[in-house]
Amino acid sequence: MVEFTVPEIDYSRYSNRQLAAVPLAVLAVALAVLVGSWAIAGSPVATGIDFNGGSELTVETQLSQEEVRSAFDTTPVAVQGVQAEADTYRVTFDSSDVSGLTDQAESADMTVLQSGSTPATFGADNQRWALIGLVIAFAGMSILAFALFRTFVPSIAIVISAFSDIVVPLAILSLLRIKLSLGTVAALLMLIGYSVDSDILLNNHILRRRGDFYESTYRAMETGVSMTVTSIVAMAVMAVMATYYDIDLMAQIGLVLVLGLSTDLMNTYMLNLSLLRWYKFEGVNR
Amino acid sequence: MSALRENWRIALLIVIVIASGAAFLVPGVPPGTAGNATSPTNLQYGIQLDGGTSIQAPPVGVTAEGVTVPADGETALEQNVSSRLGIDEIDVRVDNGTETVEAFNRTVSQSDLRAALEAEGYQPETVRDGVTEFTRGEMVRVIEDKIRESALGSGTVSTVQTPGGQHFISITAPDRDRDELRSLIDERGVVRVYAVYPGGNDTHVSQQVLEQDEFSRIGAAQEDQNGNPVVPVTVRDSSAPGFQQSMVDAGFGRRATCTVEAEGRSIAETTEMANGTGQRCLVATLNGNVVFAGGVRQNLASSFSDGTFANDPNFQMSTRNMSEARELSVSLRAGRLPAPLNFEEARSTSLEPALAERFRVNSLITGIAAVIAVSLVVYARYGDPRVALPMIVTALSEVWILLGFVAFVQYPLNLSHIAGFVAVIGTGVDDLIIIADEILQQGQVATGRIFQNRFRKAFWVIGAAAATTIVAMSPLTVLGLGDLTGFAIVTIVGVLIGVLITRPAYGDILRNLVLDEEQE
Repeated sequence: MVEFTVPEIDYSRYSNRQLAAVPLAVLAVALAVLVGSWAIAGSPVATGIDFNGGSELTVETQLSQEEVRSAFDTTPVAVQGVQAEADTYRVTFDSSDVSGLTDQAESADMTVLQSGSTPATFGADNQRWALIGLVIAFAGMSILAFALFRTFVPSIAIVISAFSDIVVPLAILSLLRIKLSLGTVAALLMLIGYSVDSDILLNNHILRRRGDFYESTYRAMETGVSMTVTSIVAMAVMAVMATYYDIDLMAQIGLVLVLGLSTDLMNTYMLNLSLLRWYKFEGVNR
Repeated sequence: MSALRENWRIALLIVIVIASGAAFLVPGVPPGTAGNATSPTNLQYGIQLDGGTSIQAPPVGVTAEGVTVPADGETALEQNVSSRLGIDEIDVRVDNGTETVEAFNRTVSQSDLRAALEAEGYQPETVRDGVTEFTRGEMVRVIEDKIRESALGSGTVSTVQTPGGQHFISITAPDRDRDELRSLIDERGVVRVYAVYPGGNDTHVSQQVLEQDEFSRIGAAQEDQNGNPVVPVTVRDSSAPGFQQSMVDAGFGRRATCTVEAEGRSIAETTEMANGTGQRCLVATLNGNVVFAGGVRQNLASSFSDGTFANDPNFQMSTRNMSEARELSVSLRAGRLPAPLNFEEARSTSLEPALAERFRVNSLITGIAAVIAVSLVVYARYGDPRVALPMIVTALSEVWILLGFVAFVQYPLNLSHIAGFVAVIGTGVDDLIIIADEILQQGQVATGRIFQNRFRKAFWVIGAAAATTIVAMSPLTVLGLGDLTGFAIVTIVGVLIGVLITRPAYGDILRNLVLDEEQE
């Protein structure tokens, strides 16, 4: 049986500036990716049917992927084979005329297992409300962080690291050309809740307990890293299994949380920690 | 007794686990599940896990508000506005109570309706897209009836409002594919009854003698004594004398035979055909197509002529076959859909039951795999099964209670909820790790006070973390972003169950473990 212990890092070897530099550089790169993609593609992240409108069919057929592609009057945006089932494809379209597309599929000897459509107006609404939801959630979390700790630096540390926890996965999705769906938005919101846990734990141990800074830090890390690793494992398993079984929603939620929680490990124990150390040793005395 | 008092959190957990088990597994415990013996659990599955179709579509219509119409002017204004707009009279609804005029036809724009009302001498305050709340309520009722009255009867209908203020009618039917559901609700089910009779000069005329609202009772499709499919109907008392008079005026005071085979044709064609045979016919149309054309038997005819019909206004409509009779009965009963639905602006999902079954099994396997993975990590971390095992059991009990909860409220489960369950296991184990690390740190727990102190410290973090999760997820519960509402609700309820019930109980379990150890 593998034993899982949290390594003790000798933080005193690194200056605050050194510690904070890495996560801030990663955040800067991530923001650059999003802004660049915005400039080139017109949107920071590619958006899928949920936000653009369109249709999706899951079909079972003897036809090849190419034959499936050419069987429709409207050219599909994508034809994707389903891993776990032979002869099954997921076909996506810009058009939201799902009844027409279903008829075409059926007349081309495909069995339609699943079909769904979102009209463009619905998609635009989703886009707006998903963004508003993210902003509200983030603002609510920030207010809560300030209410819990009532001091500026530790609170803002939580807010910055949660911001980075969302931006970095978004940049990775953007680079991988993964299309944003409602599932990804749910995962981003979940991430706000999840990622704050380890930050609160660290702040709590360092600020509200007696004892040496490094000792408190290690104790918080022991607990916090175990927590985050457990969650990453749960979400990674969900992402892999759901991808194999072609359960999109669960795969997306899993993937985004794995990316976000990994980012959170870096942010909590480098960025947040350096801010707290600065606050504890220098900031308080000012 | 004191053992119970000290361990009341564990006792509470056990009681709730048993209660959840009952809600989850024992048929009849959640209200309305008694007769459901087909499924091993009381869980309700949604479209994604059970197959079927769900459609969200906006009603077609424009509404003028602030139109002050006298109560007795409603019908006249409906007639005038509809003829100005060139649409059927049933596509206009005037209501003096809410001071609204609605037009339910795709061809009518906001400015068309305004112009028509102004030409009639009314000044609407506002004209907007959409229909009134009353109309939406009627639509929900009618669609519910249509689904219930049709052969495969189950489904839910409701109105949903987007945060942007647009209203949709949301229909979920587990047993149908998209085409079946659409054709059921697409038809507005307009029933009219005409008298077709010779109008002089060798022509036949058709005159409407009854409309939908004038029936008070519609029987189920059935076979009469001779084995012919019929639908027995009763005319409203208030309409019966008028109907009777119209029938007598049209010459149905005497027995009339009608052999016209007009089913499926229009009323104009039927009139033409009746002219050809020189017969009198009583004709019923559904959505403009003839579904019934028949004569009037002697006893019914004489009840028209001697005026006894109005005292007992019953008759039977016969159809060619049972399925037509059923359709006629459904349309008469369910009433007319007040406004059509705009399917071009509809969002829909449809799943074959076979695929849904696969999703159900596969998402269950995925969930179990996630639990096993978490268990292995926890075991590797603590190395002590006495800490790890209760941790896993506690996390599972959280999911169990959550299952009991969704079974009890009969919430239909979809894939997003399964993802929510995995998320709950994730946060649950996180919090249990916090509790374990806090309580198991160096130094003995021998006194209750130290335990309480550590427990409280752990709980501060857990409470703060739970609060952020709830704050982060709560926008989703109200934003109407489809599937995500369910995900958010499951996560929030799961976090609450965890913080209030299961995680405190785990603290007690650990205390017992640690105290035992220290006493050894």
